[in-house]
Amino acid sequence: MAAVAGRTYPAVQFEIDADRVAAFAKAIGADPADGVPPTFAAVYSLGVTVPHLFADEEAAVDFARLLHAEQEFEWERHPRAGETVTSRGRVASDSSRRGMRFVSFEADTSDSNGAPVCRSRTLFVIRS
Amino acid sequence: MTERRITFTREQIAEYAEVSGDHNPIHLDDEFARSVGLPGLIAHGMLQMGLLATVAAEAAGGPGRLRRLSVRFAGMVVPGDTVTFRAEPAGDRRLELSALNQKGEAVLTKAMAEYEK
Repeated sequence: MAAVAGRTYPAVQFEIDADRVAAFAKAIGADPADGVPPTFAAVYSLGVTVPHLFADEEAAVDFARLLHAEQEFEWERHPRAGETVTSRGRVASDSSRRGMRFVSFEADTSDSNGAPVCRSRTLFVIRS
Repeated sequence: MTERRITFTREQIAEYAEVSGDHNPIHLDDEFARSVGLPGLIAHGMLQMGLLATVAAEAAGGPGRLRRLSVRFAGMVVPGDTVTFRAEPAGDRRLELSALNQKGEAVLTKAMAEYEK
């Protein structure tokens, strides 16, 4: 395994589709009339940035031993259906202790004017 | 206090995989899940967090008011488990959140939300 703290990944654009938002809202028991559910960030932020980490051969994250241990989202505002947002992921820290590897992954999402929308912080634990 | 009690089903977990785009087979395939040391397929942590966020949004007066949400995924949820998601006021613009299964075990811990008025 390689420690890849500080690594950044390319920006990814995502168009927030109204039908997908409505289906997502329904799946988590929310009212689709209430707009984009806060945790739709799992799609517009995590969903587009985490694949870069998993595909990074030097990061060598073993998917089968991966646990999503902690998740935090912080919003400046919630995006609207129809908007296109841009997210960038980075490895904030990467350390090992007692046979476990801890990868802290962060992603910042901004709107088409470059204004911040959401910051995501994820802790992955990889069992060895 | 705002509360929702949800009994998880395979169909609901499969639906979340579809709408979220997270098709990790540990959420869809019992055999695969067992091959990596799990008891069988498990619910997405993000499905649990989504359901908790829905309860937090209700307590905050609407999803647009949530400014921060954080959880630790502490326990697995399998089909048939009943989880009680709860949000309680905890001071100025803060909510303390919890998710307990039918045995009273916390499946999410260190769970909190901040919101704007």
